[in-house]
Amino acid sequence: MGGDSRFLGLAYVLPYILGLLAFTAVPFIASFYLSFTDYTLMSRPNWIGLDNYVDMFTRDRTFRRSLNVTLIYVFLTVPLKLVFALFIAYILNYRLKFIGFFRTAYYVPSILGGSIAIAVLWRYIFADTGLINIAITSMGFEAINWFGNPGTALFTITLLRLWQFGSAMVIFLAALQSVDKSLYEAASIDGAGKWQSFYHITLPLITPVIFFNLIMQMVQAFQEFNGPYVITNGGPLKSTYLLPLYIYEEAFKKFDMGYASALAWVLFAIIMVLTLLAFWSSRHWVYYAGDKRN
Amino acid sequence: MRKTLTALATIMTLTGTASAADLRMSWWGGDSRHVATQEALKVCGEKHGHTIKAEFTGWSGHQEKITTQLAGSTEADIMQINWPWLPLFSKNGDGFADLTQYADVIDLSQWSEELLATATMSDKLNGLPVSVTGRVFYLNQTPFEKVGIAVPTNWEELIASAPKLKEKLGANYYPFDAVKLNSILIVSLITTQMTGKDLIDPATNQVAWTPEELRKGLEFYQNLVETGTIRAWKDAVAVGNVELFDEPAWAEGRIGGSYEWDSTFSKYADPLKDGKLMPLKPFKVSGATTEGMYRKPSMMFSISKNSKEPKAAAQIINCLLNEPEGVKILGDSRGLPASAIALKTLSDEGKLSPSLLEANQIVMTSSGPTVSPYNEHPKVREIFEDAIEEYAYGQIDAEEAAGIIIDDINETLSNL
Repeated sequence: MGGDSRFLGLAYVLPYILGLLAFTAVPFIASFYLSFTDYTLMSRPNWIGLDNYVDMFTRDRTFRRSLNVTLIYVFLTVPLKLVFALFIAYILNYRLKFIGFFRTAYYVPSILGGSIAIAVLWRYIFADTGLINIAITSMGFEAINWFGNPGTALFTITLLRLWQFGSAMVIFLAALQSVDKSLYEAASIDGAGKWQSFYHITLPLITPVIFFNLIMQMVQAFQEFNGPYVITNGGPLKSTYLLPLYIYEEAFKKFDMGYASALAWVLFAIIMVLTLLAFWSSRHWVYYAGDKRN
Repeated sequence: MRKTLTALATIMTLTGTASAADLRMSWWGGDSRHVATQEALKVCGEKHGHTIKAEFTGWSGHQEKITTQLAGSTEADIMQINWPWLPLFSKNGDGFADLTQYADVIDLSQWSEELLATATMSDKLNGLPVSVTGRVFYLNQTPFEKVGIAVPTNWEELIASAPKLKEKLGANYYPFDAVKLNSILIVSLITTQMTGKDLIDPATNQVAWTPEELRKGLEFYQNLVETGTIRAWKDAVAVGNVELFDEPAWAEGRIGGSYEWDSTFSKYADPLKDGKLMPLKPFKVSGATTEGMYRKPSMMFSISKNSKEPKAAAQIINCLLNEPEGVKILGDSRGLPASAIALKTLSDEGKLSPSLLEANQIVMTSSGPTVSPYNEHPKVREIFEDAIEEYAYGQIDAEEAAGIIIDDINETLSNL
């Protein structure tokens, strides 16, 4: 490689590296330090050791409530979304008429879903006089107070996330299309039905993709912010007060940057532990091409 | 050209103008305020020979923006500051420039000493009140007229109107509304009226009410729910995270009134489909020792402590708040001006809306204790609102709620 081109590659990646350093690496390290301080933006940070973490786990009722809600939300949305995305991908894998249109139509919500506009729309749909209640009452049932009851409020936020199944679905679809068709033919000759083919051929062969989607969806679910912020603002009774919303309010409403940093690091630790757990468990259920296991 | 420059230099010397400066000014608001302020800055800038770059946003997110700028020392020279932010940004008075240093440029005599005191932290004048605001009752005449009763003028009439509205118009009609922040303010209004004291005692910076006094305030609120005068919390949040003036129930007159800032009259009057809104003095409970008016400077103009041209910034502030060129253009885009000369200028010009004047008159003539800015500290608000919400959902009783509010707010105030 000549002298001129030696630094060419570096020059190409330099904008990314600078962005990574300025907007990810430095804040990442800084927030770790700040989590041991009482930094409030308007004053110099003072070192307070583990006080923020001790307060969080011993005195902060809001943290406990927020953590519970976040865990329920994640353990509810991630499996449901994966199952639903796989189900739709399985249907869209058939050679149907207008299949291109259907694939696009099912993918669109995942592009729009995270936006504020859709969250506002969701709020109108589930409002007391919204579309859902109009449908329910027209069938002779009583309207449901979706946002007024802690249980149903969390359900509406969960449903918004499920509705954004498109990106996971597209990845599943690609995986389904890569499964060797001869395997199905062989199974069919041996008398296997559709369910048996799916369970014994399709599912094992797409486990790497299921694993990938599981990790991605779990990380994203832990970081959900727009839905609860716009639709319920965390209420009622903090039933939709997910941890990212709590972190935001501590940092930018109360300016407790030190405490907000500690909360963010606890969230990071939870995601990290669950991800490592998923990686550890993957040895028992994820199969790769050329895998020598039985 | 040379003659022009000489003339300009002479004028500037004679008028005592600082040399031409490049300034920045930031504010929040709606479109009408943005248009008026940009125009006023242009005129005031030309008058004093400065250029001012406008930085404006809506309310949402503005505090976060200002906080980040102050933390990074990148704030504008002139800032529109919300009054409750003072203890957050300038606890010891060092967060902003001390405007008494520019008394030769700004005519401070246009504000009463009492008003200047509200913007003073540790003997440093941190801002100039642009307008004074307070909470008043707004009642929509239409639903009351529909059922053939007069608009209520006291709590007894308001409570008695609830069954009549429901009987003739429908079960989802309410004569009034108080949820989330307004639930805090109604409980505070009642307790202030009964005790004659604001939530926070300025001498000790601790809660001034006893648990027993606050319990009565909370029970008064609950009585409003039980009599169908206001919506239960659970029913009010059924629309999601929406402001009252954006709710169909408000626009259609299914909610007869609310307790709002006097400066927001048009925000609540405009959405009404066939309603007519009237401002009223907050109703008094029996045995009240004060009218309990929640009155405060709505916003202030402050100068950055890091400004390189503080004198030029002071000239622009004086132009916007006292000089006819700025005052006439700004009009009532920030409510009724707190500056005496500005109010007179606008009155003489006939530029003040009668409804705004009426609502502001209520605020200025009602009695009430001095309100501490710590009332609006985010931590104080959160404690109060969370406890009322739990009480409204029946998870705790009034006594427990009062205990939590007082103990937790006292602890928070001590830590601040």
